[in-house]
Amino acid sequence: MNGVYDGLTVVELADRRNQWAGKLLSDGGARVIQIEPTAGGPGRWCGPFVDDTVDPDRCLDYWWYNTGKQSVSLDVGRPPAQDLLRRLLAGADVFLESTPPGTLRAYGLDHGSVSSNRALIYTSLTDFGQDGPWRDYRMNDAAHLALGGHMASTGYSDPTLTPIGGQGHQAWHMGCVFALHGITLALFDRMTTGEGQYIDVSIHDACSIGTESAVPEWLYNGATLYRQTGMHASARRRPDLELPTADGMYVIAVNQTFGDRGWAKLIEWMEEKGVAGELTDPKYRDEAVRMADYRQGTAVLDGIRRLIAACKGEEVFTRAQSYGISWGLVRAPEENYDVAHYQQRDFWRDVEHPEIGRAIRYPRGPFMCDALGIAPRGRAPHLGEHTRLVLEGDLGLPAAQVDALAAAGVVR
Amino acid sequence: MNASVTLPKGILSGVRILDFTWKTVGPWAPRLLTHFGAEVIHVERVGSWDDHRYAAHPSPIVGGPQKEFTSEQGTGPLHGGGHADGKKPYYNTPYFTILHHGKLAISLNTRHPKGLALAERLIGISDAVVENFSGEVFPSWGLTWERIHEINPRVVYMSTSGFGHSGPYKAYRSFGPTAAAQSGLSLASGLPGMAPAGWGFSYMDVMGGWMGGLALVMGLLQARKKGEGSYVDYAVTEGAMSLLGTYMLDFQVNGRTTRRPGFPPGNRALWPAVAPHNTYRCSGKDRVGQDWWVFVACETQAQFESLCRVIGQPDLSRDPRFATNEARVANQDELDAIVGRWIRPRRRYDVMQRCQEAGIIAAVVQSAEDRVEHDPQLKHRDMHPVVNHPEIGEFEYEGYPVKLSRTPAFVHGRGPLLREHNRYVYGELLGLSDEEMKSLENDKVI
Repeated sequence: MNGVYDGLTVVELADRRNQWAGKLLSDGGARVIQIEPTAGGPGRWCGPFVDDTVDPDRCLDYWWYNTGKQSVSLDVGRPPAQDLLRRLLAGADVFLESTPPGTLRAYGLDHGSVSSNRALIYTSLTDFGQDGPWRDYRMNDAAHLALGGHMASTGYSDPTLTPIGGQGHQAWHMGCVFALHGITLALFDRMTTGEGQYIDVSIHDACSIGTESAVPEWLYNGATLYRQTGMHASARRRPDLELPTADGMYVIAVNQTFGDRGWAKLIEWMEEKGVAGELTDPKYRDEAVRMADYRQGTAVLDGIRRLIAACKGEEVFTRAQSYGISWGLVRAPEENYDVAHYQQRDFWRDVEHPEIGRAIRYPRGPFMCDALGIAPRGRAPHLGEHTRLVLEGDLGLPAAQVDALAAAGVVR
Repeated sequence: MNASVTLPKGILSGVRILDFTWKTVGPWAPRLLTHFGAEVIHVERVGSWDDHRYAAHPSPIVGGPQKEFTSEQGTGPLHGGGHADGKKPYYNTPYFTILHHGKLAISLNTRHPKGLALAERLIGISDAVVENFSGEVFPSWGLTWERIHEINPRVVYMSTSGFGHSGPYKAYRSFGPTAAAQSGLSLASGLPGMAPAGWGFSYMDVMGGWMGGLALVMGLLQARKKGEGSYVDYAVTEGAMSLLGTYMLDFQVNGRTTRRPGFPPGNRALWPAVAPHNTYRCSGKDRVGQDWWVFVACETQAQFESLCRVIGQPDLSRDPRFATNEARVANQDELDAIVGRWIRPRRRYDVMQRCQEAGIIAAVVQSAEDRVEHDPQLKHRDMHPVVNHPEIGEFEYEGYPVKLSRTPAFVHGRGPLLREHNRYVYGELLGLSDEEMKSLENDKVI
């Protein structure tokens, strides 16, 4: 398989913040060498684990974020390991790291210390970037969603309930997508200049431009937004449009327009379920009337609420969509495995897992494009699985020297 | 109309992108490339405009395209202030500027044969073509991937849609909340036992657009390497599902579903389970009466011992209910109550600062006002740069978060006015004479 990152060597210093960026580089064809502590990187210890049994080689979160990478286990706190990492960086195209600012300078591994490799694209993805008054503050993913503004917009219409941050490392994803923007642009530049560079990405900066209308509403209208259950936060309170179905699911029933065809079908559907009520009144055939009621009144919303309550979720989704109405069904992530649409689009890719003696179906990745080739290339590595391969094969260390380093606890 | 255009020099100088996007998710992708000097030509329908020129502010469920912006609709400098009759068609709301910053704008009727011919000539001199219409629109103009590739084999074509351009859902309609709901992102956000909280904005229009921007720059890199373009069929729902791999694998391997008691866990932590890890109510309320909150978490024993000292209960870390992380997770309700009692009367930034000074994870739940007015870090990093609009003057907007040492990103100043660059694009780039342009205008082609 061709990939957009074919031929590149990436050195990634294991960290939960940056591993999705490294994964997409690997999925795009790069050789990604992940440098881990001898006890394993933090991504191996978070869970969930296979059968809920703690084992750094059987952490499913790690499996997902580290497809196709190689694991080299070094104690970077010790000078001999620092020297090995310096030698690896001398031949690398990309370095990806997320240590607290200043850490690598103490190890002689900051950008200035390794930039004799003129082609190296040295990327630091950190909580706040390399400078600023909050640079050294401690954060995790949920803390970023709080500080970056996502929580302030997300939660429940009840103003006494807590703001909510979504699950699944989304702040780190936002940082990673921008780290990859920088890396890919720097690769584009390097094709003509031959020169690498230093890239500084702050997760807080990335998160804080990601709250859609919240910042412009404040900047230009002086508005503060109300949180609303399952919906957009808004400068004015809105009726609830996350509506329960007959089978205990929810539908996001936001309409941008009500065209004549979609409206006629909707009324027909309501009549079939016996819930049309006053909406059969001919006055609603006028789009202006029904839109005005939808925005300010109750009749249209009540009708939609009754319809959705009378149907199963799947029926609501497929029928509304067939009428050109963009309602969405709140599915569980794993329920998408059964959806024929994604199967036909070749979204699921088998990755062999000898640890459990079978293949597992992974999401392909965000883009369908053969020329980019973004898809898992293989399972995540076991801890230190490639230490010898890289130290002996790439750096030319004699096996006896690797044995000695291992005995001294410098490598594993 | 501008007859010539001078863009700052950057990594993408000389790269031209034909941008048929509208709404939110589509425009983000080429917008991110304007920071590096790409020439992005935003195409709008003749006699009409991108909805977001007018209707970007309100929640998608209200408002519609407003033909004119009046001073009653806002009090800020961008809302018609200073115009005698209170009405002035700026054709450029602030959110439109955020999405189309640094682009050029032209009008074109692609449903007219002469308009389609112009579109094809523009494709011939572009490096990428991007759109986020429903799947049937481009083919209905005759612009299939095969045709685009025939016109210009080097061009990257990226379609952005909710479900992609193949498969049973290809004609389905979607915007950010649809993709978040269908993928599972919405379900994975909320308090246990309650309706999903989802995301209080179109996360998949924003993050979805950024991922699209990544695909676009990947496509340009690959085209430069191979000398041949490619087709990226980007389905935002698949992008969203790619942010949920852990839950997919947990289901595949352990058979665990996310529709289970206790999931989602609110703001508590699951993988790994650590405690405390939650939002806590502080003193004060925001401008619309919602309580103020701060997030606090301890991921290590040392952090918890520090927290016990900060809240004046150093013995708590020796209490068997809280002495180990495992015990704290098991007794989370009691622990949250203790931490919450200490935080409740306190001011949110004081809590954050005292905790952070002791090495504890703590973050104020910041609103947009907080981030724009009070966040010293964003200020230091220049994340709300002031740009200059020729009609309106100076105003702040949201910056770009990647700092490259040798080829820095830059901020242009503004989004384009309606059809501002017709003369440059049709006259200078395509070489049409004034008479030809006049004739096309009369035929309502441009």
